[in-house]
This record gives sequence, structure tokens and C-alpha cells, in this order.
Amino acid sequence: MIRKYSKLLYFVALIGMMGCAKSLDLSPIDKIRPEDLFGDPEGTKLYMANLYYQLPIEDFTYFRQGFRQNAQDPNNGGFAPAMVTDEAMHTEFGDFVGDGDFHFWEPGYKLVRDVNILSDVIPTLNINAEERKGLIGEAAFIKAFTYFGLVKRYGGVSLIKAAQAYNSDPNALKVPRSTEKETWDYVLALCDTAAANLGVAPGRRANKYTALALKSRAALHAASIAKFGGLAPMSGEAVSQKLVGLEAGDAAGYYAQCIDASKQIMESNAYGLYKPTPANPTEAAENYRQMFADPNVANIEAILIKGYTLPGNSLGHNYDIWYQPAQVANGWPHPGRMNPTLDLVDIYESYTAPGQNAPVITTTDGNITDYNGYAPSKNYIRFNTPNEIFKNKDARLWATMVLPSTQWKNTNIIIQAGYVKPNGEAVIRTKDEIEINGVKYYTYGAPSTSMYSGFDTYGGNNTRTGFSFKKFMNDAKPIVPGWNQSTTDFIEFRYAEVLLNYAEAVAEGGAGDVAVATKALNDIRKRAGHTVDITLTPANVQRERRVELAFENKRYWDLIRRREYHTVFNNRRMHTLLPLQDLRALPETKYIFVRVDVPNANPRTFEPKAYYRYIPGIGSNGLVQNPQY
Amino acid sequence: MKKLQHIFLAGLVAFGMMACEKDNYDGPTAGLSGRFIDAETKQLVEQDIIRGTTIELLEHGYANPSPQYLIVKNDGSYANTMLFANTYTVRPVRGNFVSVEAQEVVIKGQTTLDFTVTPYIRFTDVTIKKEGNKILASFKLKQSVINNVKKIGLYAHSDFRVGEPMRLVAAERELNAVSNPNEVYTLEINLTDNSNTLKAGRKYFFRIGALIDVGEAKLNYAPAVGIDL
Repeated sequence: MIRKYSKLLYFVALIGMMGCAKSLDLSPIDKIRPEDLFGDPEGTKLYMANLYYQLPIEDFTYFRQGFRQNAQDPNNGGFAPAMVTDEAMHTEFGDFVGDGDFHFWEPGYKLVRDVNILSDVIPTLNINAEERKGLIGEAAFIKAFTYFGLVKRYGGVSLIKAAQAYNSDPNALKVPRSTEKETWDYVLALCDTAAANLGVAPGRRANKYTALALKSRAALHAASIAKFGGLAPMSGEAVSQKLVGLEAGDAAGYYAQCIDASKQIMESNAYGLYKPTPANPTEAAENYRQMFADPNVANIEAILIKGYTLPGNSLGHNYDIWYQPAQVANGWPHPGRMNPTLDLVDIYESYTAPGQNAPVITTTDGNITDYNGYAPSKNYIRFNTPNEIFKNKDARLWATMVLPSTQWKNTNIIIQAGYVKPNGEAVIRTKDEIEINGVKYYTYGAPSTSMYSGFDTYGGNNTRTGFSFKKFMNDAKPIVPGWNQSTTDFIEFRYAEVLLNYAEAVAEGGAGDVAVATKALNDIRKRAGHTVDITLTPANVQRERRVELAFENKRYWDLIRRREYHTVFNNRRMHTLLPLQDLRALPETKYIFVRVDVPNANPRTFEPKAYYRYIPGIGSNGLVQNPQY
Repeated sequence: MKKLQHIFLAGLVAFGMMACEKDNYDGPTAGLSGRFIDAETKQLVEQDIIRGTTIELLEHGYANPSPQYLIVKNDGSYANTMLFANTYTVRPVRGNFVSVEAQEVVIKGQTTLDFTVTPYIRFTDVTIKKEGNKILASFKLKQSVINNVKKIGLYAHSDFRVGEPMRLVAAERELNAVSNPNEVYTLEINLTDNSNTLKAGRKYFFRIGALIDVGEAKLNYAPAVGIDL
């Protein structure tokens, strides 16, 4: 009995002691304290690397499923964001913008929290003033980039300016959405903070000019929504609370901010165009191609590069395996997915007619709206090669796409859709061969699937538009047939975009220096081999933008911010150029071309509600949903 | 020990049976159907099946409910026979008629609710016919608001639910002006130029539409006409 009591006594004593000793107030040993992490320059670097890694950079790993699609199984069919615009089609998929596509909600707020943790401890860190300034600037840049990624998708969002602490009441964490205007203004203010605190040293981290380049882009986006929002009016609670949409009267102010930010970069002379004065279009095409095959040669133009160093899961990307033409697949089973459209090809200027689109003319009557297919009665123009029809077209066409019968990796890339037999009967997009005077001719230009890159539906590996893809493609080494093996770097901000932003803001806003803007526009054209200047008009700026920035994932946002998407994509079909060998011309080798709708594809229509993505999880976060979701 | 096993077993059975219990909620038993009727002509107001007028339903009794949307059929009627009986706030939204107020409706059993509306644009003297290798449409416009008419169009599809969003071929003209009630507007589709899409020997449906320049407005239509090519 006594033993029992003594046991109880021990227990009571133990309880009593817990109240006195602070033995349980230990600092956790499985967590790193901020002062330890950021007090060490290497620790800061490590944390920064993680923040930069999470930036919403729409590069080679950005697909409709979201950012960084290069983890263990990145198989998304190679359906690039360009394929929901008028830039390209996929070889097989005909998908369009889905409600669940291109989101950035959870990763966005995760990054907001991560960068808030940093900016909250900056004042407490034991570092010198210069380092502190740099950190303040960098944190502001990352925050601005993150909120830019959110506001352009969702409109006004919850602005969480400091890390939230959880005190057992989840409702205390709920922050209602700010208006779209407040959100844009916050992004631009953060850019100003970043620019004011950052240095000018170039490198892979943000400097003053990176912050200004972001501001230039963001201000132009906001200005466009303000100016063109009326083209796609919306209604609903989010609209009446001004959570989406800007007033037309705000446009001028945002254009002015874009002009100011761009001008600071242009006047700094810290950057310029890469190889601005080529001797001829051929040289211009090669310069332009090289800049994207390895951005590091173009440090003068690249303001911020996102680097890829090692192949491997979550390290490399998949642009080379998805998009190089079928003939150079090197054993990879799914190449050739990027099919640039005839619609884009038509936009590229001709050196013989500067300042206007130069649509591909296939018949003597010059009809470019006839997409009914081949008819023996039509008068087709005969060409000597499968690419003579593109003669005199802008160098960037040749550098962005692999055109029929051009060289790529020392291979003649054959893209042929069929032939016209001597009797006038055409065989198109069907595997066939014919022997004439002892010579065999093949519909696809060669006998077997490994020897051509166009129009055969075999494996979904051949282009169905008549064009394959070159920009960003690595020509230096053979394709490594596996996931995440490409390490081409991506230019997120480049000087040409800043020039185009400036030109557009001046052309649309009316303020700014027209002469400077006209020169900016023509400098870019000169770099592409043009010799005749054109005037500054909104249409000229947009054409130049589409051509210069093609496939840099800018077109989607241009269509969104200028509210053109629902007009450009209203029952819209993309188009194909069929190169056919005309065997009626034998013994001469002649080719004709037929403009047609992209085969096996349906027209697509943009729903105006898709100008904004839906806000995920309104059931628990209590936010106001965007219109029509 | 045996006893313990019994208790454990009984517990397990009770636990298992929890999953079997039938839920005692009824399925949706109520519904809402009705028509959009032109206040002047008493005809149904023609609609689009895709991207057309929708009816927004907010079910009462929940905090911050997500709206449900009913789609209106081409002919201007609508029906949803699977709603839960309750009080709803009902409002047609983004329509092709002068907007109407929201109303509270008790939906119990199969409830009928007609909307009497003023369409933005009415059509008169409509003819759609085939002449040679052309489909010719002529009509007059009568608009009920002062806004501009953005565009008029003649739309063709193999399905009778043809409309601006659902068409194979369109012949459209931008007006961007107030329409003249006395003018006869004409539109034509050249069948030769569209031989690849509108194939001879098949039946296609043609419908004329007009879009008023009002934010989020949908097109107004005259009934579709089927023509054998």
C-alpha cells in the first residue's frame, strides 16, 4: 500500500515540476531559424534559389497544367501554350483554353508566403546596409512578379503583404480580394521599390533593369485592359465590386508608367539588340536563331535568363524531344508536335513590301481566302523548290520555323503533302507512289516514315500545317531520346520586348516620344534584315510583336490583355499550306501550294469569361468568384 | 478472452453497418421550365444553344451559394427537371432582350415560369432561299432600343440548332449603326466558294441573326430554314 502511495507521490511531484522548469521551451532542432539562414550568405543564396525557381516564368516547362512541368513524368503530349493561340497547332490535339488551364493560384500564394517570410526578417538580419538594400529590392521584385502572375489570371486578388501567423482561427487568415486596380498598382509599386533598391550588375538575379522590364510589361498589360476592356464587357458581383476590370480612364496613366520604365532601360545604355546590323537576311536569320539556341551569346539583349544546367527530372526540359522535326528524332518516338500555322506565316513581312502582312499567294488570281482544297481548274503558281514561295519573307520566318526542304542539323527536312499526277489528279495526305519514266515519286517526298517530316499521320510525328519548329531548338547535338534532357536556357526579359512595349505604349497611348518609338520599332526590324523604315501604328507594332516574340508565350497574353481573343477566335479555323509536287511539269521539278483548313481540326471559339481564370476554392476561402464560373 | 472477442466482433459489425445505412435525403424532385415570350408579338424569342441566354438560379438557405445556370433551347424554351424543391432567386442573364429583374420563385414539383421580354431586335419580311449557286437572305430589322446594331449575319450548319456560335459557314456584315426600319437587308452565301463545307445533295439549315451593341448581349434570330442543296 505504501509503495502505491509513493508512486502516486512521484507522479504528483513530476506534474508539479513541469510547471516550474522551462525545460520544454526548446527551440526546435528540426527547423532553421531565419537569423541563421539569412545571416549566412550561402543560406540566403539557397533560399533565393528556391524563390527564383518558383517564379511564374512561362518558359519551356510552362504548359496548360501549370509551371515546371518537368518532374518525373512530364508527359503532357507536348501541348504547348502556343497551341491555344494562332501561332501553332499540335499534330494531333485540337484542344483549346479549358477552365482548369494555366492556373497559378496555389503555387502563387505559396511563393507569396515564401517571399513574405524573407521580407519580414530582412530588417532583423545582421547584414550590412548594401546587402539589406539588395535583399529588399529582390524580395520586392519576386513579390511583384508573383502578383503579376496572379493579377493577369484572376484580376484583383487577396493582397497578403506580410507572412500570416496562424492562431487557431482560420477565419482570421481570410483576406478578401482587392480590386483589380489596387492589385495592379501594388505590382507596379513593388517594381518601383525593387528598382530603387537593386543595383545594376548583370547576372542571373534581378537587377534594377529587370525590375523596370517587369514594370514595363505589367504597366502595358494594365493599360491595355483599361483601354480595351470595353470590347468584352462583363457583369456580375466581381464586376460590380471592381474585382475584375479597369476604368478606361486609367489607361493613360498605365501607358505613361510603361513608357517611363521602358525609357529608363533604353536610356541606360546597359542593354541593346543582339547583332543589330546584319549584312543580309540570311545573316539576320542565323543571328536571331542563335540568340534562342543559346541566350548566353546575347547577354547584351538578355535582361533576365532562366538557366537550365543539368539534364534530369525537375532540372531539364522537353522542348527538343517534343518539337524538333521527325527526321532528326534520333529514336525518340514523339517528335514534331509544334506545327506553326499558315496564319502566322502570313503575318511575316516581305522585304519587297515593307509595313504589311505578306500572305502566301498560291494561285495566279491571288485569292488567299479560298480554303476549299485542290481543284485542277485553279491556276496554281509553279515554284522550283518547296520553299521558293517564301522568298523575300522576313528572316525571322526562316529562323523560327523549319520550312519545307530547308536544312536542319545537316538534314534536308522534307515536308510534302502529295503530288498532282500527270493527268491532273491529285493525291493528297495519302501514302502513295507513282513510277514515271523509271523514276519513283512519293506523296510525302520520300519512301519511308523516317525520311520525311510532313503530313503522314503516322505516330502524330509529322507537321499537319506544313511547317516545323526551329526557334529555341538545339542544333548542336543530337536529341537525347528521354525525358527532361534539354538544357537550353530561356530569356524571360529581353531588350527587344522593352522596345516593343515602349512602341506600343506610345502608339496606343499618344504620350511619349513618337520619334523614339518609331526608331525602337525599326531597330528591331533592321536587326531582322529590313532596310525600309515603317511608321508607328498600332497595327505595325502588333505585327512586329507577333513576329519578333513568336513562341515566347507572349501571344496568349497579348490576346487576353487587348481583349482580342473572343474576336480572333470566333469559330476560328487554323490553316495549312500543302506543298504538292506537280508531276504535270515533268521532266521539270515543280511545286504548287494549296491553302487549306488544318486537317482533322475543328473550329475553336473563345469564351469571354476566360479572360479571367476562376478562383479556386471559394467554398473555403470565401472569395468572390469571377464572372460566369 | 472469449468475451473480449465477442465485444470486438460486435463492435466491428456495428462499424461495418454504419456504412450501409441508407441516406435519407430525397433526390431532386422539382423542376423549372418555361418560355421566353416576346412582349409584342407573343412569339417565342429565338436563342443560341451555345453561348446563348442563360438563367441564373441562386438557391436560398445557403451562405454565398454558387449560382446554377440553365441553358435556353434554340426555340426560346427551357427546362430543368432535376432541381431540389426550394426557394430560388431566378434571373435570366446575358440575354438577347432588355434585361429583366430577378424574382424569387418557390420551386415545388414541376414549376412553370415564363418570361415576357422585349428582344433587342426583331426581324420582319424574312426570306431565305436558294437561287442558283447562292443562298439569299433578305429581311428587315426592327430594333427596340436606341443602340447600334453591331452586325448582321447569315449562318449555315447541318444541324437545325444553327447560330452564330454554331455554324459551318457565315456571311456577316458589320453595321455599327442604328438600323433603318425601312431598309431591306440582304446577305448571301456562295455555295461554290464553300463547296468543301456545304456539300451538294445534303440538307443544311440557314438562320439570320443580328447583334445589338449592348455589353454581353447575345444575337437575335429569325427561325432557321432547312434547304436541300
